[in-house]
Amino acid sequence: MTLAAAHLKGPHVDFAGLSPLIALLAGAVLVLLAGLFRARWVRERAVGSLTVLALAAACGLTIWQWDSQKSIVSGALRIDDLSLVLNLVLVAGGAAAVLLAWRSEATREAAHGEFHMLLLSSIAGMSLLAAAQNTVALFVGLELLSIPLYVLCASEMRREHSLESGLKYLIIGSVGSATLLYGIALIYGATGVTDFGAIATAVSNNGLAGDPLLLGGIALCAAGLCFKASVAPFHQWTPDVYEGAPTPITAFMAVATKVAALGVFLRFFDVALLEAQSTWGPAIAVLATITIIVGNVGALGQSSLKRMLAYSSVAQAGYMLAGVVVGTQLGARATVFYLAVYLFMNLAAFAVIVARERETSFGDGIEAITGLSRERPYLALSLTISMLALAGIPATAGFIGKFYLIDAAVSGGYTWLGVVIVVGSMISLGYYLPVIAATWLRAPTDKEAPSGSAVQEHGMAVKLPRLAGGSPELEGEPSVAEPDAGGATANRPQPEVLFVAALAAGATLFFGIFPQPLFDLVHGAGGVLGLL
Amino acid sequence: MSATTFGWLVLAFPLAGMLTTGFGYAKLPGRSAGWIATGAIFLSFLAALGALVSLQGHSPEHRQLVSSLWNYASTVGIDAQLSILVDPLALFMALTVSGVSSLIHLYSVSYMDEDRGFARYFSYLNFFVFSMLLLVLAGNFVVLIVGWAFVGAASYLLISFWYRRTTATAAGIKAFVINVVGDVGLVLGTYFIFKHTGTLDFVKAFRAAPHVFTSGDGDLVAGCILLLVGAFAKSAQIPLHTWLPDAMEGPTPVSALIHAATMVTAGVYLIARMHVFFELAPAAQDVGAVIGAATLLIAGTIGLAVTDIKRVIAYSTMSQIGYMIMGVSVGAYAAGLFHLMTHAFFKALLFMAAGSIIGAMAGEQSLDRMKGFRKAMPFTFASFVIGGLALSGIPPFSGFFSKDEILLVTAERGSWHWALYVVGYIGAFLTAVYTFRMIFRAFFGEPVTEARELERGHLHHAEQPKNPATGEVEDTDVGFPGPVHAIAERALPMRVAMGVLAVGAVGAGLLQIPQVDFVIDDFLRPSFGDSSLYATHTRNGLLILGLVLGTVIGLAGIALAWRLWVARPVTATVIRTRLGPLYRLCVNKWYFDELIDLLVVRPGIWIGRAAQGTFERMVVEGTVIGSAVSAARISSAAVRAIQSGLLRYYTALLVLGVSGIGLYFLLQS
Repeated sequence: MTLAAAHLKGPHVDFAGLSPLIALLAGAVLVLLAGLFRARWVRERAVGSLTVLALAAACGLTIWQWDSQKSIVSGALRIDDLSLVLNLVLVAGGAAAVLLAWRSEATREAAHGEFHMLLLSSIAGMSLLAAAQNTVALFVGLELLSIPLYVLCASEMRREHSLESGLKYLIIGSVGSATLLYGIALIYGATGVTDFGAIATAVSNNGLAGDPLLLGGIALCAAGLCFKASVAPFHQWTPDVYEGAPTPITAFMAVATKVAALGVFLRFFDVALLEAQSTWGPAIAVLATITIIVGNVGALGQSSLKRMLAYSSVAQAGYMLAGVVVGTQLGARATVFYLAVYLFMNLAAFAVIVARERETSFGDGIEAITGLSRERPYLALSLTISMLALAGIPATAGFIGKFYLIDAAVSGGYTWLGVVIVVGSMISLGYYLPVIAATWLRAPTDKEAPSGSAVQEHGMAVKLPRLAGGSPELEGEPSVAEPDAGGATANRPQPEVLFVAALAAGATLFFGIFPQPLFDLVHGAGGVLGLL
Repeated sequence: MSATTFGWLVLAFPLAGMLTTGFGYAKLPGRSAGWIATGAIFLSFLAALGALVSLQGHSPEHRQLVSSLWNYASTVGIDAQLSILVDPLALFMALTVSGVSSLIHLYSVSYMDEDRGFARYFSYLNFFVFSMLLLVLAGNFVVLIVGWAFVGAASYLLISFWYRRTTATAAGIKAFVINVVGDVGLVLGTYFIFKHTGTLDFVKAFRAAPHVFTSGDGDLVAGCILLLVGAFAKSAQIPLHTWLPDAMEGPTPVSALIHAATMVTAGVYLIARMHVFFELAPAAQDVGAVIGAATLLIAGTIGLAVTDIKRVIAYSTMSQIGYMIMGVSVGAYAAGLFHLMTHAFFKALLFMAAGSIIGAMAGEQSLDRMKGFRKAMPFTFASFVIGGLALSGIPPFSGFFSKDEILLVTAERGSWHWALYVVGYIGAFLTAVYTFRMIFRAFFGEPVTEARELERGHLHHAEQPKNPATGEVEDTDVGFPGPVHAIAERALPMRVAMGVLAVGAVGAGLLQIPQVDFVIDDFLRPSFGDSSLYATHTRNGLLILGLVLGTVIGLAGIALAWRLWVARPVTATVIRTRLGPLYRLCVNKWYFDELIDLLVVRPGIWIGRAAQGTFERMVVEGTVIGSAVSAARISSAAVRAIQSGLLRYYTALLVLGVSGIGLYFLLQS
């Protein structure tokens, strides 16, 4: 009996290490339940607040875990500086998304509870991914992050483009996931283990660095992860999905997915496969180059801001890969630093787009921000700071981040990649500066002339359920959808959106001048990988 | 509080003032922007006093305190920090700058009243003071360069303050361009020094200098001469001086503050600060001394001929800075800085008095139109005379002691420096003549209409405001001077500011009377502890000769001016016709503008045009940009072409990509 009891003794669970994840998932359940209440204020206010609360709890628990270094769940997850820093960035991105979505169409149509539940689950998946230390956890995390996102993209159910975006993301995403899974299977076949550390040992001990099975696995894994990080030539879903998805979700995807994907890139390639770095390094570097060129060139001349930012995010992913390629501590630090900076500069831009989508009838077209400086000088300032930072102009955090990446690339022996980053930044001015010019130099476009295609696309939620899947619940409650349905939201105060814009732009500027706190934050992240 | 904390406060107050007045311009009622700005600078002055008291508590060897707020970049051999160096030299400058600035702010509150750009003016002015204090408190080369560039920008903003005046904007651009030439010199010079010392920090670089450089080291001489280019541009020394007279287009208090008392002396400060390097590069020192002497002489002759009252003072400023540059270049650091301080007092006073007359003349600046203001404006007259006597070096006014000390130390150096000594006294004679030419022409003789009206209690206003330089018709809206002219007799703040400065102009010389006291020498000594030239012994005979000579020459100059412009006014005209070519040379400012135009501007334009016509159009436009643009365009089109929106193509490309990567990896096995 005692023997049986001993055998039945449950595994040791390190709840402290898991606590941020638990907070997120518990929050997900909680908001789903809270969303069932009929009272409007519960759905419109309480659910969002609860989500923010869950994120805040996750953030607090992450900080509580600070400086701990341990493997939990039988070595599946690793709690260290890297995963904790990335957790913070993810939580910040999630909170911003909740604020941006506070009054959006998407939350209402998808029902508040579901929307926020999906968001929280996706963040949990990302957090899992950032901490994953074996290939199984990696895959679980990846799916947990992706599946809610597919749904979230389609959450504006009456807008064709939103549905299209969700469907496209789902199909292409499945191909990507499948590729990754094959890759993982091949690596398992070659090494016989799933643990990152064990893979590294197996590769070095058994001299597998030239093994076709392993290399095939690496190739497929690289492709799968590149897909998630929207690295060319696996980036093609990005513009379509970013443009179609509800803007708060686009903002979230743009920052958080990148964080998770590059986090796992760092852990998987710079830990498990470091031994084969001389093999995959050049391949990833070439991919980074293609990404930088395709992203920057594709963004030129886009009239939709979201599409432009989608291509820009492709290019930025290319910059960040440079930090992965070199496989050094400096590179890892530079990548994490850039991820944090990227969060701020992108959120500032998306917050402005969200604000303008609701104020004008141009959707995310460039007309929406034309002459912005005269109507909303502070929004224009935020957008300007964000664009300058994305382009890497000094005195913004973007400059420091890019400088750091180039430094890492050059000292890691990839000088040419540093040159590519610089050339890419030069091209990028070709689409960032016109945005600034439009905000400051041109007169505002007449808001009452909605004749562009952007308007029809945005559609102002014409009251027909165009496609199957339109929420039946909405029909019963016209009063909810009514006030906003006609685009009559113009100039309604949106303090939370302005708050996000101001905070993100302020942080971009602040860390451009005082980068030291961020340097300190990411300093540990490089050390934990056991790199040079 | 420690001296460095006070040092940071010195910087913080003007910055706060600038932000308050700059962002609150729409909400600040009446003159409050002016009072806020004045208060900010005054607090800054008090903080500088606090730093002084705190610093004097240290033993003399420990009076060089460095404080760093944060590291901006400390990688790859660069140690750029936001650090300040609080030492006697920095504090001496900070006290002079903040002290004179607060008085000029006070003066401006009245002088700029009713101008439509009131808050903007004070915001700029605070920005200037902040930049200047940053420059003098800088603890390393990077902060120095930032401050240096900021004062250039502030000067541009203030010269072009009346931005609808075409002459003002042109003058602003000229000043900025020439200052940028100086900035380039400063940055390159810094590089030459940094290359060897390996640190940007002042104290560390000074300590390293004797070990890494031998005397006359080629790189060091080049570096110091480049620093001199920076100093010459900022301090309006030949041949980079032409912007200063034009800078008089700015409001008169700006001329008093920036283009007389503070910014233009930055070059003097730079040489004094970098004395360690200059003493190791004697050739650069000689260049500085000779250029300083040439400037003081040439500017003096031009001052005799021009008729715009502000420009006369501007040339006088150039000339006096020539003394200072010459002084610090021959090792008379304390004397040069002493003269910097006394000059700040009496020159600011002269400008303020000139501003008062210009107010009475309703914007007219020509000496030809002024006459007989003595009775109408007694206070202005008294101030002008005090400033004039100090400038002419008449004992016991402050200029007497400081100028003679520079020349004394110059003579001490012996050999060819005697030539500089002689030039200095010729310059002193010219100074007395042109200064009293202004006084006699503006205040003596038969009063003009404006003076008569003022005697009867009515301040003249032009029926139609005009640009005094070109006669263009203006209005009084934003971008042009406001409708009200201020004179000292009717504005208490102006009188207070001028009164305090007058006291300084009379009494500041007492700080350092030869053989009696050595306040300045002793105070500055810790900053020059590593100097071999600092405060060498003086020969008594030479000292007495200098003092007597200075007095006699000053009085002779005044006497000559009296004879020419009061006793027998015809003589001036006769001389002008007799010495026609010489007069034309002077009145055309020795043709420096034309020379620069011929040597730099025209060839520049010509080369630019030619390059644009050939190289730019064919190579740059056509090949480089053309191909780059079309490459970007073509690839952009290609990217869009692939972006069909159709899933099957996306998947196809994905599969293609996977195959490509897979192939690569399999080839590696």
